[in-house]
Amino acid sequence: MSLIELKDVSRIYDETVVPIRAVDSVNLIIDKGEFTAIVGPSGSGKTTLLNLIGGLDQPTAGKIIVDGTDISTYKPDVLINFRLHHIGFVFQAYNLIPVFTAKENVEFIMLLQNIPKTEREKKALDFLQAVGLGDRVNATPAELSGGQQQRVAVARALASSPSFVLADEPTANLDSASAESLLDLMENLNQNNNMTFVFSTHDQKVIRRAHRVVTLQDGKVKSDELNPIRIKNEN
Amino acid sequence: MILILAWRNIWRNKKRSLIIIAAIAVGLCCGLFASATMFGMWDSLINTTIDRDLGHFQIHSKSFEDEKLLTDTIPNFQNILTQLHSTNNVIGVSSRVLVEGMISSATSFGGVRIVGINPQDEKNVTTVYKQIIQGSYFGENWRNQIVIGQKLAENLGIKERSKIVLSFQGVDGSIIYGAFRVAGIFKTESSVFDKSNVFVQESDLLRLINSDPISNEIVVRLSSVQQVDSVYIPIKKQYANLSVKNWEELAPELKLFNDMLMTQMNIFVGIILFALLFGITNTMLMSVMERVREFGVLMAVGMKRSRVFIMIILETISLSFLGGIIGISMGLILIEYFKHVGINLSAFTEGLSQWSMGSRLYTSLPLNFYPSLVLMILITAILGAIYPAFKAIRLKPATAIRTY
Repeated sequence: MSLIELKDVSRIYDETVVPIRAVDSVNLIIDKGEFTAIVGPSGSGKTTLLNLIGGLDQPTAGKIIVDGTDISTYKPDVLINFRLHHIGFVFQAYNLIPVFTAKENVEFIMLLQNIPKTEREKKALDFLQAVGLGDRVNATPAELSGGQQQRVAVARALASSPSFVLADEPTANLDSASAESLLDLMENLNQNNNMTFVFSTHDQKVIRRAHRVVTLQDGKVKSDELNPIRIKNEN
Repeated sequence: MILILAWRNIWRNKKRSLIIIAAIAVGLCCGLFASATMFGMWDSLINTTIDRDLGHFQIHSKSFEDEKLLTDTIPNFQNILTQLHSTNNVIGVSSRVLVEGMISSATSFGGVRIVGINPQDEKNVTTVYKQIIQGSYFGENWRNQIVIGQKLAENLGIKERSKIVLSFQGVDGSIIYGAFRVAGIFKTESSVFDKSNVFVQESDLLRLINSDPISNEIVVRLSSVQQVDSVYIPIKKQYANLSVKNWEELAPELKLFNDMLMTQMNIFVGIILFALLFGITNTMLMSVMERVREFGVLMAVGMKRSRVFIMIILETISLSFLGGIIGISMGLILIEYFKHVGINLSAFTEGLSQWSMGSRLYTSLPLNFYPSLVLMILITAILGAIYPAFKAIRLKPATAIRTY
């Protein structure tokens, strides 16, 4: 059964005189365990598509079915709750809470899920250990490098036990070594824990690692194929 | 954890938070101090009025209230005096013979209230005897001694041992003249009282009017003002045929003054809180606008709008509470200091004496004022946070995340 299914989804912004079709009649199915990259030039609709899948925006037309639930008609408050329990987010600019330590950042999402204190503390430490930051649990974001902050963001995304993780340009602010290291981490989580990742990216490093690459152009799916680079490498 | 987050958020911009905390603290401190001076003024006015003349409650015949005639006496007053002397919490009882009359010196004259007293009893009730500035309080060995106020003495051009003549209507309607010699001159906080009241011994007055002992007024002094209701109410019930009034009923102008003070104080505190409201709203609005992306992220990852709202309210309450605690502490220190040292108002003595107030003002603030103030700060903080909080929860996560 598909994890994410988009049926003829459009998102039209009509803020200006001429309506902009940011996403135009997109049909897409993503299964559990996929490691998918959504690529395309700037303005092609990658971020809008990710926002729609993540329930941060609502489609003008079409249906978005996540985990068997049609979220396209959900009200904003219901969507918040849905996101909390089903979707993990990794943002381009890390977006950690600056006044919290790494551990508190990871723990916070579990607090929102009303997980008891001792349990969430233990889980937070486990997740930070898993992303290789077991020795930086008490560091604040300002005390961490960009790569380390993004690892905390991954730990935070995983802490809510989501069905999948959406990562919007996760390597855009990282140097090559940090980016590769982060991709290693996410690839491991995908392979070992069967965690589904959906990226929007320009970064060739990410595209090379993706199992499937969906290319957007002018809001439409231009191509949707298994990653030829990866297939070639595997062969 | 949300409280911890709110608390830490306050300190992200230390300078801004400290400025608003200082504004709240100084505003409250000033508000408290101003209120304490008003309460101090009120206390001073009440206490001097009770101490000087009124006592805690008084008994008259009902007819005395209308015309205040010498003939409007209290029936069986001796029995009442005996009962009062044996009542708990009563520390002094004085029976007075009162008559309106004229006082004349060699050069001038004026209208006065002649108060016939037993000096020993009166000492237990009022404090005029402590305010003698010339001569003594009926300490001479001649008959027909009179104790008058300094203002009246100046108006009449007389001094200690000067002779004056009192004239008034007797029991039978005839005009009675009596020559008195000034035994003492007093100066109270009230120049109005000083120029309109003279004290003579009850026995001298009764001899002049050729009367058996009578009483127009019984003044009762209690151990404290808090005891008034417990003593006065049973007496009032028992003597329903008499007029029994407590100090508030006897001096309605004091109540008016109190109401005016309270209104002024409420307006003053209201203005301070109103100004704080805008300060708090401005600070929180700046704080929210600086964190648009963060609120977007919080809501994106699943923080409910209600929790975001509560977090901003908590931030505001923490900020205001901190400012409030500092302000109240500073105010308390100032109030306690001036409660003992007093504020010197001697430059305004003349004007203050018209209002029966001394030249040193001692601050005072009832303890129950503080919780209500804390509550008002809390309400102000919540009101101040509502608009910024609404601004935050109305953000769209998808847009807010991309705000830099």
